[in-house]
Formats: sequence, structure tokens, C-alpha cells
Amino acid sequence: MILARLALRNLLRQRRRSLLTLLVLVASFTALSLAGGFMAQTFQGLSDGAIRGGLGHVQILPTGGLEGGEEGSLEKALEGGETLAAKLRQDPEVAEVLPRIQFMGLLSSGPKSVAFLGSAVDPTREAAHMAVADRVKEGSKAPGGAGSRWLSAQPEAREVILGIGLAKSLGATVGTSLTLMSTTKAGSLNAVDVEVVGLQDLGLRELNDRALTVSLDTAELLLQAEGARSRLSVVLKQPQRADAMAERFARELPGTEAHPWHQLAAFYQQVRMLYFAIFGFMGLVLFLVVFLATANTLLMSVMERIREFGVLRATGLQARQLVALLQWEGAFLGLAGSLTGFVFTLLFRAGMNALHYQMPAPPGTSHGYELFIHFVPMVYVAAFLFLQTTLQLSALLPGLKAARLRVVEALRHV
Amino acid sequence: MLQLLNITRTYEAGGEKAGVFDVSLDVPSGQMTVLAGPSGSGKTTLLQIAGLLDEADGGEVRLEGVAVSTLPERARTELRLNRLGFVFQAHNLLPVFTALENVMLPLQLRGLSTEEARHQAEAALASVDLTPRLHHRPTELSGGQQQRVAIARALAGRPAVVLADEPTASLDQAHGAPLMDLVHRLAKERGVAFLVASHDPMVIGRADRVARLVDGRLVALEVRP
Repeated sequence: MILARLALRNLLRQRRRSLLTLLVLVASFTALSLAGGFMAQTFQGLSDGAIRGGLGHVQILPTGGLEGGEEGSLEKALEGGETLAAKLRQDPEVAEVLPRIQFMGLLSSGPKSVAFLGSAVDPTREAAHMAVADRVKEGSKAPGGAGSRWLSAQPEAREVILGIGLAKSLGATVGTSLTLMSTTKAGSLNAVDVEVVGLQDLGLRELNDRALTVSLDTAELLLQAEGARSRLSVVLKQPQRADAMAERFARELPGTEAHPWHQLAAFYQQVRMLYFAIFGFMGLVLFLVVFLATANTLLMSVMERIREFGVLRATGLQARQLVALLQWEGAFLGLAGSLTGFVFTLLFRAGMNALHYQMPAPPGTSHGYELFIHFVPMVYVAAFLFLQTTLQLSALLPGLKAARLRVVEALRHV
Repeated sequence: MLQLLNITRTYEAGGEKAGVFDVSLDVPSGQMTVLAGPSGSGKTTLLQIAGLLDEADGGEVRLEGVAVSTLPERARTELRLNRLGFVFQAHNLLPVFTALENVMLPLQLRGLSTEEARHQAEAALASVDLTPRLHHRPTELSGGQQQRVAIARALAGRPAVVLADEPTASLDQAHGAPLMDLVHRLAKERGVAFLVASHDPMVIGRADRVARLVDGRLVALEVRP
């Protein structure tokens, strides 16, 4: 402890220099933890969006269902998908199973027809678990206006919810009658008249220009495919078990493949990789700044104390204890920087969150979002460890320099 | 107590060979031995070799009958901590520590608890009449007081030998003389071997033994009754 006390006093001796180094450390800690909180917000938003946007926590598909190349509707389908869904609902780890049919075709308003990508869902179950239902029920704030609503649970209702881009291209609004055209499972052409009951903003422009949602009954009528489902979105009681449950389903359900949501959320993965690259680079820059600033401070401090080190070595301080002394100095700087940085981060975070600042829409998306810096304890721990490791490394060089001094030369130093 | 046997240490200085050459000297317990001689005579070099701060090119240093000069650096540092004490010309003390903490430092490095170290350090500082200055930092002490703190630090761990390099060089006569009287008294009282390098006549005058060096060679050894 005597070395720790000596280290602390040495730092306090050069108050101005220590304070300048501390400022660098506080700025680095604050930057790292704010960026981490922002990343956490983004990742959580994206994962919520992907899961509640229809993926669920686990997706069950027919084998090869992700390979594409389908020329007709339900060419690769879970035969008896509805029965499988009913069976899976009995699983104690499963909260809900949402069967879906993915299909494509043409949507016609009469004078104009546009290609679409359709999703057929169970209106009742979907509304309970997925965000799409919430979006069309926001009254006057809903993309389709005050009259918009979610799909009716009545099996005979022929209704559709359109992506805002798709509705715009057809000049359709809530109440407009349109015709859905697609090939049946057997390969023949079929058409069903539907009424627009709502519009949806799916967040991605390309999706808004093509996507529509109908009930499973409507899709079954259009595709002439009773009971067949393209995939099942499984909502788990414990979302963190997604990977394990996907493995279990893949093992227990022959003829199917199961994927946790993050494997299928391409946008989420892309953003995650981009953020990791950006913040990894930022971390590298901060590492260099902190490393050089601290190494410089400690090195200057060593140069000024050479005679002192000579006296210490003469009185019996081992060379390794000199290294330890410098390590203590680095540790105290890091601790002070992290603690002060933590307080600053909390203040900044509170201030920035209180501003309700609207971030611009990211590339490829249709709307912005409110900036909110999450409080993620692990981020603070990581920032602390990052700073501490950097400081211990930067203290190593001055420490070794001090340890390598010849005692007699150090004593001669003026 | 401390024996220097045929110590040789050479180095180049201004294109000429300097250092110490074939010096043998006994430093007995309870006495103050002074290495006397003009600047460049090799006093400090010999003192540093005797204090295991530097290595001789030839010869041997024996401490309490054991050859110690060939020990590895780590073991020599251990010996410096446990059996030797040092007083340097000036800037002996850590400026960030109080007088008490400066004296406690080597004791705590030895592994003594804070309480034990404090007790011994207070006693050592009392023996050099600095009890009223325990909690003063070096900048708040006079030069003479700083040297007395250094002596207290050197003696606190009850060493076998204390080595002092020009301990009065930064002091005037009024402060230097009492300091050396103190050193002489403590050497006697505690049975510690003091080896002092100095060219100060006042210091030489108080020595029990005077080893005179000229150009790195021991030219005379004066033993006083």
C-alpha cells in the first residue's frame, strides 16, 4: 500500500499535468459510454423492429425455404403448417406461433397494376404480438388516417393493408377496392377483390413500395392452398433462448429448418457490422489518444524523478516495484478518469435524452427516430476496462524505463 | 563488519583512466570511517561499491563476513533494504511524503505493518531530535533537518552499515558540525558502522578512522584512539 500512497501523492504533486490527462480520460470515457448507449438503443430498436415486424424469435421454414428460386406461390411450403403451429403452441417455452404465407402477384386498381410482395397472417394472433397491427391503429396519426384499422378476424372479410408506397403508386386510400392477382399453388391464375382498410409504414422504402398484408383466409382463397404455410414465426416466453430453441426445433421437426431471428434480420446484421466497424475505429483512435497522453504524462514524470528513483532504489526498492509504482499511477489516473467520466456521462445522457432530439432517417429507411441514450451497465464496465487496460499498458513503458535506470547514474542525475 | 578487499573499478574520464585501484579497507562497527580525499579521488566510487550500488571490476565486498559483491541485483537490493542505510549529499527525501512517511517507507518495504513502521520511524526521528517535525514535508524543513531525517531513515531499520556521501556538502558549518556530532554519537550508541565520503575537514576531524584516497589509491589509513 505504501507504493499506492506514493503513486497517488506523485499524481497530486503535478496537479495541472494530471488534470490535463484526466480531461482526456474523462472525454474518452464519456465518448465511449455515450456511443455505447447509442449503439445499444439502435440495436434494441432494430431487434425489436425485426422481431415484432414479423420474424418472431424463431422462424420455422420448410427445408430449403431460404434458398429462393420459387416460381409459384407456396412451392416450398410447410404442408400441414397450421397443424404444426397448433402442436408447437403446446410447448411450454412457446408463447405463440404465428403462421404466415409469403406470396407475390399483381395488385390492380383497374387502370393500373403493381407487383406486390404479400404476407398473409392470422389477424387475431398477429395483432397480439406484432407491431404491424399497432401502426395502423394510431388514429389520425396512422399512415392511412383516422379511418384505418387492422384486418378483421372474420374469415369471410376480404381486406388488405398496403405499404404506403404501394398505396401511393395505385392512388389507393382506406376504403379503396382493389384486385389481388396471383398464381395458385397448382399454378393457375386467380384473383380476389379486397378492400383497403389501412396503410402501413414498414420503415424501409423498398418494402413500403411493395408490401401488403392480408388475412390467412384471404390468401388461402387466392392461392387455393388450405392449411399450407410458408413459415411459422415463433414467439418465445424467454427471448434470449432463441438460438437454443431454433436448434431444438431443427432437431425435433423433420423436413423443416429453424433460424433464430437475428440470422434472418439482414438489415439488423448490416447495421450491427457497420456500427461495430465505426465504433471499433473510434475505439482505436481513443486508444491511441489515451495511450499517448498518459504515456507522455508518466514519461515526463519519470524524467523529472530520476534522482528520486535512484534514492528509492538505493534504499531497497526493487526494479519491479518501480514498475508497480508507475502501474499504480496509471491505475489511479484511470480510476479517476472513469469515475469522473461516469458522472459526466450520466449528466450528458440526461441532458440529451431530455432534448428529445429527432435523428434523421438512416439511409434506406423511411422515417427518423428519437435519440435516446440507453443506460447499459455493461457499456460502462467495458469503457472502464478499456481505459484501465490502456493506462496500464501506457504506464508500462515509463515503468520499464525507470526500472532499467542504473542506480549510480540515477543518483548522479541533476 | 564491512570489508573491502582489493577493490578496483576503472572508467574513462576526460580521456584518462580513473576510478579506484586495488583498495582494501575494513569498516568496523560502532565507528565512523571517513573516505577522505580531493574531488576525483574515487571516494564516491568506492562508497557506491561498498553500498552495493555499483559493481567492482575486481576485488570483493564482504558484509558481516559474507561475500556480497557478486550477488545478483535483486539480492543486493534486498541487502540494501535490510542491512544497509544511505545518506546522500542532498535531495535525499521524497518531496511528496512527510518526514515520518519518508522514514517509514523502507520499513514498510521490508514488510512491517503501518503501525510497527510508524512506531520505529517515530523513535528514529526522536533520536535525531525531530519529533516536532514529524508531519512536515521536506520543503518545510531546513537543509540540516532534511539530512537528519535522512539519517533517521538510514538508521530506522537497524542496519549494519550506513553509507553517507558528502552529507554536509549542502550545509553550512553551523548545521554540518552538529549533524556529524550526531552521526558520531549514533555510530557509538548503536554499534553501526558508518562509512562517510567527504573532503570536509570538519567531518574528517570527527572520524574514528580516516582512509585517504589520492587518484583512486588508498595512500593512508589513520586510526584514531
